[in-house]
Amino acid sequence: MEQTRRCFRQPHEVISAVLEDELLRKVAKPTRYTGGELNQCKKDWLRVDVTMAFAFPDVYEVAMSHLGMRILYHLVNEQPDLLMERVFAPWMDMEDMLRKREIPLFSLESHRPMAEFDVVGFTLQHEMSFTNVLNMLDLGKIALRSSDRKPDAPLIIAGGPCAANPEPLADFLDLVVLGDGEEVLPLLLRKIAAYKKETGWRNGGEGAGREELLHRLARIPGVYVPAFYQPHYGAAGELKGITPRYGDLPLRVRKQVVGDLEQAYFPTKPLVPFMEVVHDRVMLEVLRGCSRACRFCQAGTIYRPVRERSMATLKKQAVTTIQNTGYDEISLTSLNTADYSGVEPLIQELTTEHAAQKVGISLPSLRVDAFSVDLAKAVQKVRKRGLTFAPEAGTQRLRDVINKGVTEEDLWNVVDSVFSNGWSALKLYFIIGLPTETTADLDGIVSLAEQVVYRGTSLLRKIGVKKPVRVTVSVSAFIPKPQTPFQWEPQVSLTELENKQAYLRSRIRDRRITLNWHDAKVSFLEAELARGDRRLGQVIFLAWQKGCKFDGWSEHFNYERWLAALVEAGLEPGQYAYRVYPYDAILPWEHLDFGINRRYLVAEHQRALAGVRTADCRRDKCQGCGVCSSLEVSVDLRGDHNGKNPHRLL
Amino acid sequence: MRWLSHLDTQKAFERTFRRAQIPLKYSEGFNPHPKIAFASALAVGVVSQGEYFDVELAGTPEPAVVAAKLQESLPVGLRVFGAVAVPPGTPALMAVVNRARYRVQVALNGPVTAEQLQTVIRRIWLQDSWLVERVGKRGPIVKDIRPGVFALQGEVDPEFIVLDMLVQTGSAGNVRPEEVVDVLLAADGLPVNRERVDVERLGLFVAQGDRLLSPLAIR
Ligand code: SF4
Repeated sequence: MEQTRRCFRQPHEVISAVLEDELLRKVAKPTRYTGGELNQCKKDWLRVDVTMAFAFPDVYEVAMSHLGMRILYHLVNEQPDLLMERVFAPWMDMEDMLRKREIPLFSLESHRPMAEFDVVGFTLQHEMSFTNVLNMLDLGKIALRSSDRKPDAPLIIAGGPCAANPEPLADFLDLVVLGDGEEVLPLLLRKIAAYKKETGWRNGGEGAGREELLHRLARIPGVYVPAFYQPHYGAAGELKGITPRYGDLPLRVRKQVVGDLEQAYFPTKPLVPFMEVVHDRVMLEVLRGCSRACRFCQAGTIYRPVRERSMATLKKQAVTTIQNTGYDEISLTSLNTADYSGVEPLIQELTTEHAAQKVGISLPSLRVDAFSVDLAKAVQKVRKRGLTFAPEAGTQRLRDVINKGVTEEDLWNVVDSVFSNGWSALKLYFIIGLPTETTADLDGIVSLAEQVVYRGTSLLRKIGVKKPVRVTVSVSAFIPKPQTPFQWEPQVSLTELENKQAYLRSRIRDRRITLNWHDAKVSFLEAELARGDRRLGQVIFLAWQKGCKFDGWSEHFNYERWLAALVEAGLEPGQYAYRVYPYDAILPWEHLDFGINRRYLVAEHQRALAGVRTADCRRDKCQGCGVCSSLEVSVDLRGDHNGKNPHRLL
Repeated sequence: MRWLSHLDTQKAFERTFRRAQIPLKYSEGFNPHPKIAFASALAVGVVSQGEYFDVELAGTPEPAVVAAKLQESLPVGLRVFGAVAVPPGTPALMAVVNRARYRVQVALNGPVTAEQLQTVIRRIWLQDSWLVERVGKRGPIVKDIRPGVFALQGEVDPEFIVLDMLVQTGSAGNVRPEEVVDVLLAADGLPVNRERVDVERLGLFVAQGDRLLSPLAIR
């Protein structure tokens, strides 16, 4: 009797039992794999038309901190005909056991194997998660390359910032969504549901082809099917063009955006994890997009235009979400929350409203450049976190090149009010290896940090604070990113980057200054992957085969394996990172249209080299980037003080 | 629920109070936190039939109302059995709870008879010290747990050995149920799968003389 019952157990029942009886007790942090959190959506598979797994190529605590995941998860699950569950990258201890026991990677909600879902959607947050995408497919027993997938294999789709140039992953992805996922995803899933019904796809339907399905989906605006776009290379290996394989597909796929953030869906009953995750709090999205036009910043171009939510809506969402989660903190998230047109009243009103329940208000990183320290005090009343300040470059000349709107005067204003208000620590962010950078710019970083220490020390002494000043200088490397004015620029060589870091280390002598830097080798690979084309697919595959995964975790990053993979694939290391793309070159991401017109990017690049600043279109006139006209949207400011914040420092 | 850490459980309750809109008292200082103190930390992986905690509320709501409101807001898998109001100055649960009863299920690799098991239990029960190794802050230390074990019974289910034990817990020291299993295994090479030991906490008690009292009853 016992035996027969066992025979008929479904795969997900077997997985649940093995997890409970054997595996969970052997892993660190078992709640990474159990699901069952408050507000989890667990739907009946027999009552929905299409099923999707949201795949995050990192561990639970990182995945659960991602706002985009929360939005899409609840948006999809609120539709009665659609279902979404979560699949995250298992940590090494769990992966070893899954491989040993040949257990396929499973979802958190129902423990169903990933391959049982109709659609598996990866979010591509950064290049160093690409090997984890392959590893998860492999753990899910799904063919890595889309050309190897059987007709009824799940559709492997992706979205997120790396969709700005998904070409390196083109071989592995069936489809990529460009732009705001909440616009495209429900539409896409319903098209798939219709196809299932019509042809019996994934249900034994005869002749229910994958090609036909993908062809139908490729006609949805914002959907890019890499296999339908054929790159042509010249004799010297240069890209000569990318053309669609069907006459009814657009030459360029255009991203889709939420036109009205105020009306857009936002989950007010989000998942509440049991274990502590990176961002363990209510996250409110106050605005989307940023138009400060820093020339190195990809988020600043691909998420345009700026769209805000009104204060009334945000306050309502705050109350409901606290009520539904019990969290003790609300984080106001966006690319730059200090830019919200009603930031100060918003913070003040939220703070007052939630004080009794001891709910604190925070900002993901308190960038003091754009707002008064008074405001910082309001935010910090309940939560004491450090202040950060991002001049990005050490001299005014270079700050003008990158269009970072911080003047020397602003900078000292900020420093003065930070220390005279009693803060004793400040973190400064810089980028090295920027176009046109010279030693003078590196010296500028050092002298800036030193002056902050001196000024801070005397200010603290004046107000009677005995604590020593601590300044952290955090230095990252410039990575030329697609769809930005610097997309044509090369990265400086790895040796040069390491020399620059060594130079800074040797120049910073003051014990009160701590220097942090990123591994230059990681930055090099990020540039290589960010600017590359489909020939990198083989490199990612080989790197994964050699054991690369969790490359974004410094303790797991293995440069030698990546280097070996590049060489084995017949590429010259640095071929993409160091390349200077001439203006007339066809870029690997040329066929992906993020609404920004090329003329604007060229003009911005030239203005950069000439050291000419460009204004922020949310305060000044339109700068003609092309986003609003091509996507038929507009900048939408909703805060009650429409940008005229009297306390604003800048 | 069994996979939650002690801290996770504490946080889950803290959030439940906020959802249930039962105002809590907070500690003073920069980072105010609510005052929730469990009688005894539950180890990760252990199922529990009953845990107890002290919590300081703002105001004096009816205990029954608090319990009902909490129950409505709890995540699936947690249940409130009751609440009582205690006057200020009552000693903390942590200080008075001193017994824990566990049911431990150990998977068998081969057959064991009931007599075989009873014989081993009777034999070790008569020993006056059970030495186990613990990892302390300064490396491994050897500890005698025998004085902290007050009852031990066992049964054989065809596929498992099931033990029922009453052990010491609280400020005077904790005996871990797995340690009792290890003593049993060391005494006789029973064919068990040490990797499949499932522990369930049946209850926490206050021992007064010969009597075992519920922590709620003495409050
Ligand atoms: S089109 Fe003009 S207003 Fe719209 S985002 Fe671009 S620069 Fe700003």
